[in-house]
Amino acid sequence: MSKKLFFNPAHCTGCRACEVACSFKKEKVFSPELSRIRVVKLDEDGVDIPTGCEHCEGAPCILICPVRAIRRKAETGAVVVDQNACIGCKQCMVVCPFGAVHFDSARKAVFKCDLCDGDPECVKWCFTGGVTFGETAELPARKRHRTARRHVKAQASQGKGRAGA
Amino acid sequence: MTFKYGGYAGSLLFADLTKGTVKKIPLEKEWCTLYLGGRGRDARLLFEKQDPSVGPLDPEAHVCISPGPLTGLLGPTTGRVNVAGRSPLTTIYGNSNAGTNWGPELKFAGYDGVVVTGRSQKPVYLHIHDSDVQLLDAGRLWGEGVFETTARILEEHGPETKVAAVGPAAEHGVLFGSVIFDFWDAAARTGLGTVLASKNLKAVSVRGTGAISVADPDGYYEAAREGWQAILDDAGFRTGEHSALGTSICVNWGNAQGWLPTRNFKESHFEGADKISGEEFRDLYSTKEAPIPAGRACFSCPNRCKRFGRIDEGKYAGTKGNIEFEGVSAFGSKCGVDDLAAVFHAYMLANDYGMDCISCGNTIAFYMELAEKKLLDTEGLELRFGNADAMVEMVHRIANREGRLGELGSQGSERAAKAIGKGSEAFLNTIKGMETIACDPRASKAFGFGYAVSSRGSDHLRAHPVFEMLKLSEGVGEELFGSKEAVDLRKYGGKVRLLVWHENIAAVTDSLGSCRFMHASYYAEYPVPELVNKYAKRKKDPAKVRSIKYHRWFEAATGIPMTYEKLLEAGDRVINLERALNIQWGLKKEQDTLPPRFLKEPIPRGPAKGELFDPEKFQDMLKEYYAIRGWDWESGLPLEEHLRQLDMADVAACLGKRGLLATSRTPRSEDGAGVGSEKSSPPASSLDDCEERAGRNGGTPARRP
Repeated sequence: MSKKLFFNPAHCTGCRACEVACSFKKEKVFSPELSRIRVVKLDEDGVDIPTGCEHCEGAPCILICPVRAIRRKAETGAVVVDQNACIGCKQCMVVCPFGAVHFDSARKAVFKCDLCDGDPECVKWCFTGGVTFGETAELPARKRHRTARRHVKAQASQGKGRAGA
Repeated sequence: MTFKYGGYAGSLLFADLTKGTVKKIPLEKEWCTLYLGGRGRDARLLFEKQDPSVGPLDPEAHVCISPGPLTGLLGPTTGRVNVAGRSPLTTIYGNSNAGTNWGPELKFAGYDGVVVTGRSQKPVYLHIHDSDVQLLDAGRLWGEGVFETTARILEEHGPETKVAAVGPAAEHGVLFGSVIFDFWDAAARTGLGTVLASKNLKAVSVRGTGAISVADPDGYYEAAREGWQAILDDAGFRTGEHSALGTSICVNWGNAQGWLPTRNFKESHFEGADKISGEEFRDLYSTKEAPIPAGRACFSCPNRCKRFGRIDEGKYAGTKGNIEFEGVSAFGSKCGVDDLAAVFHAYMLANDYGMDCISCGNTIAFYMELAEKKLLDTEGLELRFGNADAMVEMVHRIANREGRLGELGSQGSERAAKAIGKGSEAFLNTIKGMETIACDPRASKAFGFGYAVSSRGSDHLRAHPVFEMLKLSEGVGEELFGSKEAVDLRKYGGKVRLLVWHENIAAVTDSLGSCRFMHASYYAEYPVPELVNKYAKRKKDPAKVRSIKYHRWFEAATGIPMTYEKLLEAGDRVINLERALNIQWGLKKEQDTLPPRFLKEPIPRGPAKGELFDPEKFQDMLKEYYAIRGWDWESGLPLEEHLRQLDMADVAACLGKRGLLATSRTPRSEDGAGVGSEKSSPPASSLDDCEERAGRNGGTPARRP
């Protein structure tokens, strides 16, 4: 079973602690530009949307990399970059639909989320559920049950208890 | 790390708009240890660079926009940025602080601050993209509102650019013009936006892609994590109410405690509070609700107190933005208006025009009372308390300086009262020229006393002593401030020491670039959680009590050795420096007072009925305060010895040359206040130190044998 990061805009407060936590874990400095996770802040409309690598099954970055510097790690299912192998052609940046691959100009290589080997730092600094880490296999079941519970609520409000009101 | 200390970027940008030049200048290392950064360093820079004869709106005036050494780092509430200069509204020291993403962005671009002076011949804006810094033409932006200006700059320079902008009110010369960061985050008090506009500077936009390093990464991570956890552990935070309602939680809370200013401070209890409350805003306009109460947060902050909302229908459709309690009270309870849509609209208008909602709302409320007393020609407007339409109209008139009311109002209520005459001064709520915030000083004594001594004129954020409102156990008050009364908002005991401690911590957090809410609202910082636990009925294991230890946090970030006591001393230093600036700019001791209404007129009804600020007690408190701060009682000037003890000999020398230094304490008979107050200030570092302090404040001559 593979786990992935869930980005939940409704829960995100836009504080960007995840960004600096990520850059600190990976590079020992504070820099959103070196973060693997980014919060898109649409201040004009008061909306904050966390974004990052979705570790796609048919990852276009893996397919396009001409030197096979990007591969999937069997243990975590994460799509990871070997910076030593990367030639800096940036084609992965072009094909990634999420803007989740970034270029490190000091190392002349791309970088991206590697799920911190299955223990993502960003999640440890998010206390509102804006970014969580979970099993995708359980996801549809959880959603089925959440929706089902709404039916119970709806019945309760339309049923006998409220009929007289 | 190219700079000696971590946390800092190591340089400032110095823009001379007369010459059209922008230079990178190195940060003064000594100022980092003495004045930390942000508010402290800004004051030091103004003291150094700005001749006291330079007027607030002269081209030679300086404005500093500075984050602190912790801004941009991971840790609770590190998004703050300070704006400082000489205020056009008060003509003394002006500064304002905002929670932003702009401050961190400037640090990532490689700067600890931007200093602006001179006057450009035509409108410009300063755009910073890392080391690429340019003054660009702002002709097409001039006259545009803050929102439009910000949106256009984002279009021009990319969506991740951060923008600080001034609005048309500032351009028109309204004396309380604000600087608005990233659409909604205001540094509005004292009118420094007007100073920027007088320089023909429309905006400062920044995109930073660099990194900030700290001196001790592991130590820093630990300190930040503990600080973050301390907030999450806090009982007040855990209720989730503040996060759910934002600062507007204070509408109903303040109303219940009897300190919600109502109808120009005639009363302190508003019958319409429910209708303009945080709960009402959440239910009607908040866009960010489900599935959990998630407001919007400043950079790296767990608190998320910004409430974003939008009006979709009715005559104010299209209004949107972040609201805070102060604006809601200024246009709501102070004007007697209980129509939340109108309040929200007026508030967002003030932001878009770029002016301080507090000064603006208070001035309108002041007009309403004058109209009620028939002291004002209302120019056809029905300016009565509760008239939402007249209030909204006045916002437009003030911002555009339309008509006599608009013209006078744009100069603030104190100047307006002078022009109107007829005894209208009696209805003012200004101190040192600035309008009072949304907490009645008669009902809450530490707040009230704090307004009188605040270095930027009437304001709560110099101290923010919410401590007295929280109903903490008496033991905490007694141990920290020497009196059980410290935890009772109506009483006077211990309130001076309470205020001094809060002022010192506030000066520190403003200088470090972190937020007031950690020490006032949550009291997550050392030693409060420890003390609260000590006096709690159900105690936690003391080893498990977490707190924000600013000294450790600062030390790990910068590498500058720091203790709790030294940090409080830095706060005292900042406040003394601001006093020095104010004295140079003509502040008189007589201005350290409360408006007559609060000293004479008891609150007529509500939970705080009968309360006033006892004038005699006020004088005693002031004496005690001066003694602790090291100011001469007769003249109000800083004492040379105290400044020297604070490593401010250079400042003392400069004041001495200008004849603005007290060299020995004026002899006086009753000296108990000073001794008692400082003796057990928390916690005394050593016995020797304690005795020395007691001696210093006990009325002995400044020059000891």
